[in-house]
Amino acid sequence: MPDQLLFGTEVFLNGLMAGVLYALVALGFVLIYKASGIFNYAQGVMALFAALTLVGIMDGQVPFAHLINAVFGTEVHHFGWNIPSFLAIILTMGVMVALAWIVQQLIFRHLVNQEPIILFMATIGLAYFMEGFGDIMWGSDIKKLDVGIPQGMNALIDEVTYGAFGYGFFIDNLDIVAAVIATILVILLVLFSQYTKQGRAMRAVADDHQAALSVGISLNFIWVMVWSVAGFVALVAGIMWGAKSGVQFSLSLIALKALPVLMLGGFTSIPGAIVGGLIIGVGEKMFEFLIGPMVGGATENWFAYVLALLFLVFRPQGLFGEKIIERV
Amino acid sequence: MSENKNEGYVTADGRKIGGTLMEMKNITLRFGGVKAITDISFDIKEGEIRAIIGPNGAGKSSMLNVISGFYVPQEGEVWYKGARRPSMKPYEVARQGIARTFQNIALFEGMTVLDNVMTGRLNHMKANMAQQAIWKGAAEKEEVANREVVEKVIDFLEIQSIRKTPVARLPYGLKKRVELARALAAEPSLLLLDEPMAGMNVEEKEDMSRFILDVNDEFGTTIALIEHDMGVVMDLSDRVVVMDYGKKIGDGTPDEVRNNQDVIDAYLGVSHD
Amino acid sequence: MAQSSQAAGGLQSIPALLHRNATEFGNRPAYREKEFGIWQSWTWNETKREINNLARGLINLGVNEGDFIAIIGRNRPHFYWSMVAAQSVGAIPVPIYQDSAAEEMAYVLDHCGARFVIAEDQEQVDKVIEVQDRLHQFEHMIYVDPRGMRKYDHTRLHEFSHVQEQGFAARDELTPELNNRKAKLDYSSTCVMLYTSGTTGKPKGVVLSNRNVIESAKNSAEFDHLKIDEEILAYLPMAWVGDFIFSLGQAYWCGFCVNCPESPETMAADLREIGPTYYFAPPRVFETQLTNVMIRMEDASKFKKRLFDKYMAVAKRVGPKILDGKPVGFIDRLQYALGDLFIYGPLKNTLGLSRVRVGYTAGEAIGPEIFEFYRSLGINLKQLYGQTEATVFITVQPDGEVRNDTVGVPAPGVELRIDDSGEVFYRSPGVFEEYYKNPESTASTKDAEGWVATGDAGFIEPDTGHLRIIDRAKDVGKMADGSMFAPKYVENKLKFFPNILEAVLFGNGRDRCMAFINIDMGAVGNWAERNNIAYSSYQELAGHPKVLDAIKAHVEEVNRSVAQDEMLSGCQIHRFLVLHKELDADDGEMTRTRKVRRRIVEEKFQDLIDALYDGKDQIFTTTEVTYEDGRKGSISATLKLIDAAIAPVTTQKVAAE
Repeated sequence: MPDQLLFGTEVFLNGLMAGVLYALVALGFVLIYKASGIFNYAQGVMALFAALTLVGIMDGQVPFAHLINAVFGTEVHHFGWNIPSFLAIILTMGVMVALAWIVQQLIFRHLVNQEPIILFMATIGLAYFMEGFGDIMWGSDIKKLDVGIPQGMNALIDEVTYGAFGYGFFIDNLDIVAAVIATILVILLVLFSQYTKQGRAMRAVADDHQAALSVGISLNFIWVMVWSVAGFVALVAGIMWGAKSGVQFSLSLIALKALPVLMLGGFTSIPGAIVGGLIIGVGEKMFEFLIGPMVGGATENWFAYVLALLFLVFRPQGLFGEKIIERV
Repeated sequence: MSENKNEGYVTADGRKIGGTLMEMKNITLRFGGVKAITDISFDIKEGEIRAIIGPNGAGKSSMLNVISGFYVPQEGEVWYKGARRPSMKPYEVARQGIARTFQNIALFEGMTVLDNVMTGRLNHMKANMAQQAIWKGAAEKEEVANREVVEKVIDFLEIQSIRKTPVARLPYGLKKRVELARALAAEPSLLLLDEPMAGMNVEEKEDMSRFILDVNDEFGTTIALIEHDMGVVMDLSDRVVVMDYGKKIGDGTPDEVRNNQDVIDAYLGVSHD
Repeated sequence: MAQSSQAAGGLQSIPALLHRNATEFGNRPAYREKEFGIWQSWTWNETKREINNLARGLINLGVNEGDFIAIIGRNRPHFYWSMVAAQSVGAIPVPIYQDSAAEEMAYVLDHCGARFVIAEDQEQVDKVIEVQDRLHQFEHMIYVDPRGMRKYDHTRLHEFSHVQEQGFAARDELTPELNNRKAKLDYSSTCVMLYTSGTTGKPKGVVLSNRNVIESAKNSAEFDHLKIDEEILAYLPMAWVGDFIFSLGQAYWCGFCVNCPESPETMAADLREIGPTYYFAPPRVFETQLTNVMIRMEDASKFKKRLFDKYMAVAKRVGPKILDGKPVGFIDRLQYALGDLFIYGPLKNTLGLSRVRVGYTAGEAIGPEIFEFYRSLGINLKQLYGQTEATVFITVQPDGEVRNDTVGVPAPGVELRIDDSGEVFYRSPGVFEEYYKNPESTASTKDAEGWVATGDAGFIEPDTGHLRIIDRAKDVGKMADGSMFAPKYVENKLKFFPNILEAVLFGNGRDRCMAFINIDMGAVGNWAERNNIAYSSYQELAGHPKVLDAIKAHVEEVNRSVAQDEMLSGCQIHRFLVLHKELDADDGEMTRTRKVRRRIVEEKFQDLIDALYDGKDQIFTTTEVTYEDGRKGSISATLKLIDAAIAPVTTQKVAAE
């Protein structure tokens, strides 16, 4: 095989891995948007918050340590214990569910039947609040997140491909794990929404509130549930990205990666989010690889958006979005 | 509730009507300063078809929304199955066995007919998340049992041919029927129909009347309906409440109501030939 | 067919065939019906049990030998059982069209003097109750679906399952009597009586013996090599002879499985799920399916449409040849195989026809392009020509000799004769016994030697031996100048256009021909939608200038085609109008099998015919209509009368067509 083709294949695989993560973040958006019509700007910050909380719990950090110390003049920072990552993840999930409940009870319950733009504004507010709140709670320094996922080059793939083509593919273990976990999560979400009572209820609420009420579905319960699921998705995304590049403010910017995915896949489609994520992931890596050198590189920053714009022009409802039909 | 009021009666065509299922006592509903319903009382007995009629703006729909929990009255009491019902959310009312349809049709447009009707069974699904997750035992049995009920309803309402059709693609008349199917799938103790024949042509109206009578006959379901098509109401119902400007002006069998002078003045005299 | 009666091997009645099937292949499926979303099935053993219980229940109710039992319902196993149970107790089953109005039913019930009626549901029961006071011999009614029946007086009304239960409970006492009655059945006993709708006059009761039915079933099954593992979907009216032969005669002779759809509306889906191997449909059904496919392809993406067009062209070129086993080049075969993979296979699957081994159409002429379409997909669609009086089969097309313009060669055991006027006569083991209580009609239809007049005019092609039908013999008339007037011939040409649902041609004894046209609401409506033409009713659509233009173009094309035929060139349409209502069986304008009643249409719309001949441009008219519930109303409209161009007569011969 010629070298160029081998490099290309490697880039393609890496693109797929990245794409799965984009898809995961986009899924969080889609879930909430479908069920409640809210475009949740805070999805990225939720991932950051989840990752911060996870690190904090694992390290036995005292929440609000800075604030407590400033007010009471104490010097507490750590409880002095470390919690195993598995337990910490479950605890963090509990925190995300609580957060979902608080968000629903304090904010969105009072905004039922408001204009979408109002709801959107509320999520912007929520995003900035959570960003600040996360800082106060856990401190604003960059943290390292290690939940025990193997990192570094996968030796097996390297060996096998070296043996076969004379060129070892570099594929990060973390990416592989992330892709596998994200895939499982996506399958679980689809099964959940298609085949469980709560999933059916969720789809019902997404479709028509009044009708959902009339068959005995509590809207409040479903919304808390949806925010919890979105929180869970955010947690998984936060773990993956956090493990890769540390837990820091920039993690919340993954939301910006999800936007083009949504434009591509449609805001209401779960398969759209998945396929869109993969297209963007592979697309931007391949574009950088093939065209990047000609234009001086750094195409990854804007490629996804340009692709999304093209889609907006030719297929505004996205790949899988419901067709926008205007009848005369 | 006095004793004699709770007794049933026998209809003209020989059906036995049971005791009081639901009683509205002195209901008053206001929107801001506007009174939609003023001090209305009536009862619904088990097994009967009860109609609420009145000209546009008489407060019929508001009344139905009070029964189904979508509106909370400022005054008055709602008694259901012999107990006073506390203030409730619509979904809690639904869980008590009160199913309803809507005048403007509220279906899950993105789902198929089958999925829509299946949502009517949500309150009958008891399996927990763990059971559902492994799809074994209770969950599987429950799904099959619920599907059976749903298929019976589909057969009953003769919508087999559209089982897998997305609701959005159906014509209006069929949507109304699917909505009825969803309500029936819940096996309700009380079925509320909000203008079940609004916007239908003569043939569709006849079909719907037949379905309503058959539901009552086959399943013994108590039905309360709102309708402004007088002919339909008089043929269908056992007893009729007449409302006008939010007040009750008549209550009785269709014949009694037809001969009630207030009713004639307010409504029948003008629109009924 | 000298040895035919021996070949039946003592199997001289349907109950005897049932017994054989239950003994020899008792565990094979005999019936399936979709109910509550699931296909329920009955083996031959179970079928025998169901039928015997019902038969004993009938004896229990007092059914005597020679009684008539009317059967009113859509295709469900229960009604097939009812027919065989009736035969088992020596009674004669009389299936009745379930969409008949109460009046039509009253005539048939009274004519045959039915003592018992087995009806499907409340709707049918109500119809019989409505007219029962006029029926002196009518005694008991049995219904299958108990829904809504609780309130009824049950002194003379019985639920099907209860009758069966009683038959089961009384099995010890009644089985000897049942066996005794069954033993008496032979080839000469009556198998069934079917009422023909006929385009004129009252329906006639055609009496078919066991010989008629079993011999016809046997011969036709051998002709097409039908086997025990065929699957058919029973969806055509049970009162029609075709369904009786396919779903009862052949099914019992071969022992194959009869599948009953969930409801008439789910037909398409049920067809897909069953995937019949042996399939019958009138041309109208094939036409509707094709129209739907074309509409869907119009809406499909450009890529799909191009692929479809490309491979359909391949299919059109080589499909029929492959089907007929003629030599086809390798490249063409490869292309066809690819097409089958991408287009034909999925398409046949969607239509529910992927397993069809033998398909038939009959009853009306089928449009050439419709016929070719199905054959090019590799579906072995053939034509047959038959009637109730022949127990269906007169001529059939053998495999490999299938053409659109003939109806095939004489079926096994059938002799054909054309008389001087051109009318077709036949003689066969399937020739009916008599018209019940109507010796005059029997005599005028069937002569002493057993020859039966078909009432159709036609000729036998000398070199192929295939029969070609021109028109109804009595409809073939003469124009004022003495040339031939064959309305059906021209109407069929018109009806081959998807936009045209029905056409009626006038001109007998006149100097020119005029036509009424019904547009096809589905096809034209879809066209209107795509062209942004708004309409709210059939009437409005039918009167739209653009629609009229399109129809005019069709008429002129037909004129050009008719002009090529010297003998019939006088039948070109000079003027036409598009009717403001659809011709409807409820208004008596058509038969229940949807054939136009020419004379009634002529009487009813005399004003319109006159206006056409008077040369007016438009006319205002009012017409009485009957709604589905029997109420009457009227509609009125101003109709445009349109001139069509007449093509010059070219001197090609008929045979060249």
